[in-house]
Amino acid sequence: MRILSVDDSAATRHFIKKAIDVLGFEFLEAGDGKQGLQILQRENGKVDLILLDRHMPEMDGMEMLEALKANEKYKDIPVTMVTVELERDEIHKAIDRGAKNYLIKPFSQENLIGKIMESLDISL
Amino acid sequence: MITIDEFRLIRDYVEKHCGIHLSDDKTYLVETRLTTMMFEQGCNTFGDLYNRAVLDKTHTLRDKIIEAITTNETFWFRDIHPFSILTELVLKQYADEIAAGKRNKIRFWCCACSTGQEPYSIAMTFLEFIRHYPRLKPENIEILATDISSTVLFLGKLGRYDNLAITRGLGEEYRDRYFVQNNKIWTISDEVKKMVRFQKLNLQESFNHLGKQDIIFCRNILIYFSLEFKQDILKRIAALLRPGGYLFLGASESIIMYTQEYEMQRHAMGLYYQVK
Ligand SMILES: C[S@@+](CC[C@H](N)C(=O)[O-])C[C@H]1O[C@@H](n2cnc3c(N)ncnc32)[C@H](O)[C@@H]1O
Repeated sequence: MRILSVDDSAATRHFIKKAIDVLGFEFLEAGDGKQGLQILQRENGKVDLILLDRHMPEMDGMEMLEALKANEKYKDIPVTMVTVELERDEIHKAIDRGAKNYLIKPFSQENLIGKIMESLDISL
Repeated sequence: MITIDEFRLIRDYVEKHCGIHLSDDKTYLVETRLTTMMFEQGCNTFGDLYNRAVLDKTHTLRDKIIEAITTNETFWFRDIHPFSILTELVLKQYADEIAAGKRNKIRFWCCACSTGQEPYSIAMTFLEFIRHYPRLKPENIEILATDISSTVLFLGKLGRYDNLAITRGLGEEYRDRYFVQNNKIWTISDEVKKMVRFQKLNLQESFNHLGKQDIIFCRNILIYFSLEFKQDILKRIAALLRPGGYLFLGASESIIMYTQEYEMQRHAMGLYYQVK
């Protein structure tokens, strides 16, 4: 499995990487939406899950989500939105636009792994 | 904000489906753990979320709610005494029985195994034990590890732990003997891993099909259950244990007032229960 973290906070990406390491999955990272799309292009869309920060400079999470869903090649990659605010309208909007679920900061490693498994439909 | 009526609906729902009893002071916990899920589901209130869960025939939402409510805290060789009792008493007895040809296997069931630390600690205890009892082989023991949560089972099966998880309760000697390090991740060795079988199981449901067991670890889980559910589980566990079989609980748990099926025993500083 390959997980792409798009987040302008290096600390958050680092935290996410640690959980991905526990899972033994491959980790890719980008500092904003533009870079995220570049990585997807470079990898030819071969990513299993995107953890997408809602607020970033350059292209933010909602814009990137829209770009992903409008693209034939990327539209089926599950997206977990990551944010600090727990706002109903924001979450409803992102889900309507195709995000799979939401993760609110700060989150524990356990929360994160739970979300990743949910997004990848891993069950036992 | 969750209303008191909504809290009660969810409390009863959770208790019905996994036995966990939420007292009124858990209102805030329920609210914080379920709010994101409520919004993700497109719901505006906890009542809506509840209704949606009830209507969901696939039980996906129900399982998610249960996962969000459970606590998975665990560590290696937790409370240490159960593991010394295994070495000093229980495994010795069964080893003699095996040597005498009276039995062939020792069957363990770890019924709320979380991310694997407990069943793997049992497996390591056994491997240490047979260093001095070379007549016994890893094949002489079966360890079944079950839990209600898919997430913890997945992690337990993977057997990979980070620097923090690996230190909790585990000495360097065991760590170096039974784990393989790769960067910051410690993976349980194949030798230990293959001794443990993980399986999803809700204690609320019947577990008779597991067959008779010699030793059951039911630790740091009864504390979350109501009195009635505790009694029910302890009765069913007693029925699953072979005569004289052993039950281990968490350090802060005691069952003596709930059931007549067991005899409480002491060994050194620890407690265990033997089915009558
Ligand atoms: C606090 S952990 C204890 C782990 C381990 N036994 C220990 O003592 O370190 C409790 C575990 O019980 C599980 N659990 C809760 N309700 C359950 C149920 N109804 N059936 C099976 N497992 C359950 C949880 O998922 C969690 O992993």
